[in-house]
Amino acid sequence: MFQAKIKADILKKMIDIVSPLVNEVKINVTPAGMSLRAVDPAHVAMVDLSIGASAFEEYKADETEIGIDLDKLASVMKLASSGDTVEMELDDVSNRLIIRIGNLTRKIGLIDTTGMTEPKVPNLNLPAKITVKASELLQGVKASESISDHIALTATEDAFELFAEGDTDTVNLKLPKDLLIELNAPEKCRSLFSVEYLSSMIKPVKGDQPLTIYLGNDNPIKLEFDFADKNARAIYLLAPRIESE
Amino acid sequence: MLCGKERCPVLVKFFHYSKVQPLIDDVFLEGSSPPSIFVGRIGYPKVAIGPLVPPFAGDTSYIDLPELWENVTIDDIVKFRSHLIRGKYVVNVYDVEKRDKIVDFTRELALARNSVDTEMLFEKKPYGRIALYDDAQPHGPSAPIRYLDISNPKYDHHIEKAYYDTDLKARDAVIELYRKGVLVSRIQKAFSVGAFGEKKYRRFVPTRWSITAVDSMIGEELMKNTKQYPLINEYRVYKYEKLDNRWIVIFLPTTWRYELIEAWYPKTTWNPYGKSISMFNSYEFYKGRKTYAEIGGCYYAARLAVNEKLNQERRQAGVIVLREAHPGYILPVGVWNVREAVRAALKREYTKCESLKEVLEEIRKFMDIPVERWIKNSAILKDLLMQRRLEEF
Repeated sequence: MFQAKIKADILKKMIDIVSPLVNEVKINVTPAGMSLRAVDPAHVAMVDLSIGASAFEEYKADETEIGIDLDKLASVMKLASSGDTVEMELDDVSNRLIIRIGNLTRKIGLIDTTGMTEPKVPNLNLPAKITVKASELLQGVKASESISDHIALTATEDAFELFAEGDTDTVNLKLPKDLLIELNAPEKCRSLFSVEYLSSMIKPVKGDQPLTIYLGNDNPIKLEFDFADKNARAIYLLAPRIESE
Repeated sequence: MLCGKERCPVLVKFFHYSKVQPLIDDVFLEGSSPPSIFVGRIGYPKVAIGPLVPPFAGDTSYIDLPELWENVTIDDIVKFRSHLIRGKYVVNVYDVEKRDKIVDFTRELALARNSVDTEMLFEKKPYGRIALYDDAQPHGPSAPIRYLDISNPKYDHHIEKAYYDTDLKARDAVIELYRKGVLVSRIQKAFSVGAFGEKKYRRFVPTRWSITAVDSMIGEELMKNTKQYPLINEYRVYKYEKLDNRWIVIFLPTTWRYELIEAWYPKTTWNPYGKSISMFNSYEFYKGRKTYAEIGGCYYAARLAVNEKLNQERRQAGVIVLREAHPGYILPVGVWNVREAVRAALKREYTKCESLKEVLEEIRKFMDIPVERWIKNSAILKDLLMQRRLEEF
């Protein structure tokens, strides 16, 4: 059984966070809330998302799984305006998710979850922790997009730095400790990442909201942020690139 | 030669023109259309439609079936295509059902499967030399039509059925015809006269657009299947050479991704004045792309060909197509060249490789351009070589 009411914005946010990586997801439903974990087809990035029962206006559920096509869900959510509340109900018999927005009822056929395995979370060694306003990081990533396909992120004891290099141009964004919400780097950490992936992971975080970064040496990056008044949390992992030939 | 080209395209064009010219030095033309038609692009939505007709009768179908041109040279193509005289008749693209003989006959030619005896009376003598396009096949001189008549065409009955079904969407018609084995070039021809789709949406489509529209639609449909199939478990390298173009098609044991990289030597079609080799690429990863490919219609033509192969084998792979256009490629012959070359490459024996390193070695052996330069211009090779995967941790 699954029956819930949630603000349209929160559901839209969830789609914004997950859909850059995957289209079809398996959502795990428990009495405590909803969660999902998925990797992209290239096995480069992972998303781990949880929405607590408290993020919902109403929430009643047993343990179950919902397999859904996010493109379909997104097209339904386009019908909702930002203040709307969306009702969701799982119809076990016909295997459909019933969505009600105002007087509109839309039933979505669900996908089979039997082949969808839970991806394994890799072992990570990420000594540096940086918390930064999302908008500051996004500015640096956007500046890099036009000149290179990868950027280097470096954390030292007193600053966090982003660097991109093209054939002729470079981009450098240096954020000293006092401009960061938190910086804790016991050693110098540096890894290289794809700009395209990184930018799609920062974009769903809005404006000044804090984004926490865990960084290691030639290790994946972990990005963590809360939404829905801290009742929901998203974690991204992104595998690094190797220093060019 | 002084200009640096291997052979002079002007002379090649002139030589063939001088042979055709005496045959068409008249306002009246009688011949068998392969069948073939052309829809222009200039002036859209008012465009010039009309048949392509050579000045002789008989079975001329070969002239308009690129699927059969596997062993032709550039000279052959220029020779037989320059025989095609283009009649021009300006209509609005929405006038597909206009009560007008020239519109009707043009459409009938586009739907026909046999060569059709055609008579054309022009406003003036056909003028111009061979006309070249980047996507469409070349054709010969042209003139405005005053009067057009054709003998009875035989329809391709699959195409005819789609034409009379005015509820069937254009995309579904194209895909159904492809599945029934109708040649891609025939579908493209019928598509350009607005023979498919729901009645109110039917219109003439300029030849070059219809070529890419059809390549792209079929490719997309096949891609849906490709993404569901199990991955191949080896690296494959297919090699092929034609019209002084060298082709390598690489199949990778990864999820679907695709890239076409073209290298143009100086003095070739797309690099006429350059002193160094120009390289262009377009690519997509699993999710596909939303914008038109930078390198144009050839991207979609090759994508159709590789998905055709993967669908036959019911396998999924990542694919990279490399094209080295050498100086002997002096004239553009149309996008069919890319589609048919990739199809032909995939019919050959491939070299099986155990690793990406071996694949790169194959590129080094077959291509003149250093493999490092191919890597530098390839989004997918760079990704494979430099992007690590989560399961490595």
